[in-house]
Amino acid sequence: MAVPNQFSAPVAEYGGDEVSALVLDPGYSTVRAGFAGEDVPKSVVPSHYGLLSSGEKLYGENAVHNPLAKMEIKSPYTSDGIVEDWETATKIWEWSITSRLTGQSENKRNGYVGDKNGNGDGDVDMEAAEAVEEEEKPMGDAPLLMSEPGWAQGKLREKSLEVAMEEWGSPAFYLARTGVLSAFSMGKSTALVIDIGASTTTVTPIVDGMALRKGIQKSPLAGNFVSNQLRLIFQQSPTPVPLVPHYMVQSKTPVDAGVPSAATYKKFETPPTDSFRHFEEERVLTEFKESVVQTWEGPGPLAQSEEHVKNFPGRPFEMPDGWNQVFGVERYKAVEGLFDAKAAIADAESPAPRQDQCIVELVRASLNAVDVDIRANLLANVVVVGGSSLLVGLNRRILNQLEAAFPGPKVRLSASQNTVERKYASWIGGSILGSLGAFHQMWISKREYEEHGTSIVDKRCK
Amino acid sequence: MAPFKDEQIMIIAPGSQTTLAQLGLPESFTPARFRMRSRMFPASKEGEWEPYKVRRKDKQPGEYDTTSGNELEDDIAYEEDPVSEEGAVWPMAEGRITNWPCFFALLTHIYNALNPTFHTPILLVAQPCWTARDHERLTEFFFEKFKMPAFALIDSATATCYAYGVPTATVVDVGLGKADITAVLDFIVHDHGRIIALPKCGGEAMTQRLLELLNAKKFTREMCEQLKKSSICEILPPGVPLPGTAGAESEEVTNPAAAASTGASASGPGHRIAGGAMGDVPLGPGPGTEVGDGKLDEDNEGVLDVASIVTSGNMAEILAKKEREKAEKAASRKKGADAAAAQAKQIKLPNSRKEKATFMYEDHALLDTLKGMNLSDEKMAEAQATLDEGAGKKADAPAESTVEPTSAIEPTTATAFPVAAKTGPIRREIEVGTERFQAASGGILEKIADGIHRTISAVENVNRRSELWESLIILGNGSKTRGFKEALMATIQTKYVISPSSATMFTSELPSNLSTPAGTGANTPQPQLGPHGVGGPGTGTGVNPLLLAATTAQNPHLQPQPPQSNGMSTPGGPPSLHQPPNMHSSHGQTPTTVRMVKVPEYFPEWKEAGYDEAAFLGAQTAAKVLFIVDQGVSKGFMTRSDYNDEGPRGISDYSM
Ligand SMILES: Nc1ncnc2c1ncn2[C@@H]1O[C@H](COP(=O)(O)OP(=O)(O)O)[C@@H](O)[C@H]1O
Repeated sequence: MAVPNQFSAPVAEYGGDEVSALVLDPGYSTVRAGFAGEDVPKSVVPSHYGLLSSGEKLYGENAVHNPLAKMEIKSPYTSDGIVEDWETATKIWEWSITSRLTGQSENKRNGYVGDKNGNGDGDVDMEAAEAVEEEEKPMGDAPLLMSEPGWAQGKLREKSLEVAMEEWGSPAFYLARTGVLSAFSMGKSTALVIDIGASTTTVTPIVDGMALRKGIQKSPLAGNFVSNQLRLIFQQSPTPVPLVPHYMVQSKTPVDAGVPSAATYKKFETPPTDSFRHFEEERVLTEFKESVVQTWEGPGPLAQSEEHVKNFPGRPFEMPDGWNQVFGVERYKAVEGLFDAKAAIADAESPAPRQDQCIVELVRASLNAVDVDIRANLLANVVVVGGSSLLVGLNRRILNQLEAAFPGPKVRLSASQNTVERKYASWIGGSILGSLGAFHQMWISKREYEEHGTSIVDKRCK
Repeated sequence: MAPFKDEQIMIIAPGSQTTLAQLGLPESFTPARFRMRSRMFPASKEGEWEPYKVRRKDKQPGEYDTTSGNELEDDIAYEEDPVSEEGAVWPMAEGRITNWPCFFALLTHIYNALNPTFHTPILLVAQPCWTARDHERLTEFFFEKFKMPAFALIDSATATCYAYGVPTATVVDVGLGKADITAVLDFIVHDHGRIIALPKCGGEAMTQRLLELLNAKKFTREMCEQLKKSSICEILPPGVPLPGTAGAESEEVTNPAAAASTGASASGPGHRIAGGAMGDVPLGPGPGTEVGDGKLDEDNEGVLDVASIVTSGNMAEILAKKEREKAEKAASRKKGADAAAAQAKQIKLPNSRKEKATFMYEDHALLDTLKGMNLSDEKMAEAQATLDEGAGKKADAPAESTVEPTSAIEPTTATAFPVAAKTGPIRREIEVGTERFQAASGGILEKIADGIHRTISAVENVNRRSELWESLIILGNGSKTRGFKEALMATIQTKYVISPSSATMFTSELPSNLSTPAGTGANTPQPQLGPHGVGGPGTGTGVNPLLLAATTAQNPHLQPQPPQSNGMSTPGGPPSLHQPPNMHSSHGQTPTTVRMVKVPEYFPEWKEAGYDEAAFLGAQTAAKVLFIVDQGVSKGFMTRSDYNDEGPRGISDYSM
């Protein structure tokens, strides 16, 4: 059994198949991370973080849902999905990788480095361990494939490369557009990708694996917009709907529909912050989206058929404090604004969107920006991804409206039946790309970065 | 490679506090034969580790050694102390490996102690928080160090499902410093939303809470720890009043035992009646009975710190006092018939309705102090016998352990390492009030319940969530505290269970197309190619599908089966009486019911010991399938040659 250990030999330079790349897909609501070649990301962590009054930042699922006094819940993104706090974003992304995949860098100290001298007594070779320690950066041992939204430009892209090389010690790096990766996840290299996430909806035309920059469209009408519509519906309801998150409730008692809650509420010495409450409310809203909200299938606007829809059966929903009601036509209204700007519910703080921000208009603008002769091909390969594309009936509405808007060419719409594949499409695409043999020549190596600086990213990662 | 045999298989399940291990699979699976505290002691040579504390034993000039000839030898002697944990290094914290050299030393020690054959494959039960790189590192260590022919990793949550024979469950593992909550679907761990190491949600949090409450009464951490493990510590479901408070029935307030042991008489009501209900019978002397001795009772309100009295030179005094007490007790025992009668009524009250109760505290600190004093063996034995209040109350321990399989001392440790244990524990009797019902009052139940809600809500496939709510497995030694599981279920019940809506109860038949809002975008064309159409390497998400098929096919009891439940599905709340099964089937929200998975019954020894370490049982099942039944056909383990070909990173293809 004393076979010489292959792994004491130096590992081939990033080409070795045994080194699986890390794939990092940051989004507004969650960061997805994992190893290339795997089916789903092993690590999905919230993009929000907790900020204590001491200035300390807390990352991860367990921290952000803990009702601590004086903890603010913050996001490193602007509300339209652009990173504004790079320092924190970097930490959150790093956390998504170290917490589940590679371990903290401290973890690697004093590791088992093998019985170099074969004496088998288990002594740790301290010198070797220390040498390792000096070199070790949290992600120093695997190339990193990172995604970015299609509309990200120059400086943002260069920043990603810089962070990977300087802070994480990545030996090689590649930056891919989310739209392209999502298309790959569906086995397509030519597609019109509609990605409906939390903060933004992005439409990306892709031909032969390349995103056509001029055709990329972006709009804030996405998951957060729907959540906001729900808040407004709740507030404007004749008897306002109480949006009370779980942490505020001590115990609830069943009550009849529409009757005020009879819950016992939790008492806090210092109640958690408003931002924490808002964040926890989002949990309830997501549940509401999953189990109650539905999209009117169109193709015409809901407004034209509202009388008809009123006869559809309602669906019940119970708030964490026990308050419950059956929601009828309201459950269709929250999504309608994605398609019909006039139908969006608005108030002083949330102005109505514009029609050109609605999904079908984004597609039209995107197609108008690309060559006429590829439009039919793109319409035959529409791909819908993103967490908010899971809203019931949404795809049917998109298809119906696209067919009505583009009567000539055949419109074909693909969306995975598998919820996981839909939610993590761009990560899965990255996983596929990162494990392709032919991809290895695409990496920007550390040496190249040192030679050419950050500008290399625009040349290599088109 | 020659086929593996049952007796060759080694299983190791490391935990922050206790590591379980076993060599060989018995015909009927048993709880781990080998239990090792997960700690090592730094040896005098840097970088080396010892499994026991090694104590320097100096000989005092005036003291003779009973065995002659010793005087000629070196003045310094060393002895191994199997009980003491002074200076120990614990290489895992909240499941994470924090000190690798120490952890490797621990594994090596276990491996050597089990003394396997060369043809021994190893199955390692992985903690949820171990990262992919940790798995690789361990794989490398095992192959390089032990040169064994085959190695496999099983996630502790997956292993738990194997133990219970259910493919789908929500596994809530309450450990020492943390809780892990995992949704397992068809034997596959759902990574997204998995709650890993939820801080301050383990047994230690409850000990600390007791300490907070009892600090004023001079309880130490160790006392609180033992109190928590005793049967008088109990967690009451939310809404149940503490005895003696306004909500409780008034007759309990006049508690005869409470009166008896609050200092009225120095002798207290004698001895425990053997076989008394759960060993709850209050015994004196408790705190507050230490009256009448000027120097020793500075703290009438609290527990006596005997150890510090001993060190401060009052040893003789306390020994004399104890002698006196014991004599008095013996006397009162003879004429104690009336006291016993007073107790008879008391015995019938369940623990949860008694304001006060006592437990036996094993004072290790005192023992350590005595040992540190370099007493002669004879004096040592004498001091011990005098200080021990537990002698002659043997009925105590067994009575407790049948109710709750908890014991302060891990019994099998001693059997695994037969080290001459010449010094037994010193037991003292301590009384506690209603603080003993408040171990979980720090919010641990709410935190875990919320974690379960988050874990299940993160399962993308909405349709499978109710199945997960109806298949809860609560285990781990942290959940052993009496009443914990019931109280947790009741917390979930009062906070998360959705009642049928009064508005739909009578118009329940919603169109069926609305009943599954899974958001799968019905009617959309299928993609031309799946995720692997572009050359994705079909690595599993943790489980090799072939392996899954093999393991389930070989084990009829692992075949998917409808979730079973036991009697305590909805404690504290109405059982499904109010919920006719089909009434709100279209309700998209979950849970509408919560249930615990019925405990497996195939293995009598496990049934007896309890299933808090069920992951080990699952590991036995898995090991049997992987190494014996399947013999590697489904690539269920990594062989040495696989390792040489693929390196440590290959392990992700072989773990489950
Ligand atoms: N089943 C569902 N139905 C409707 N909306 C959902 C569902 N699951 C998630 N969402 C919404 O999807 C959004 C997150 O989508 P995601 O693609 O992960 O965004 P990002 O990439 O910006 O992080 C959130 O607004 C969330 O509320």
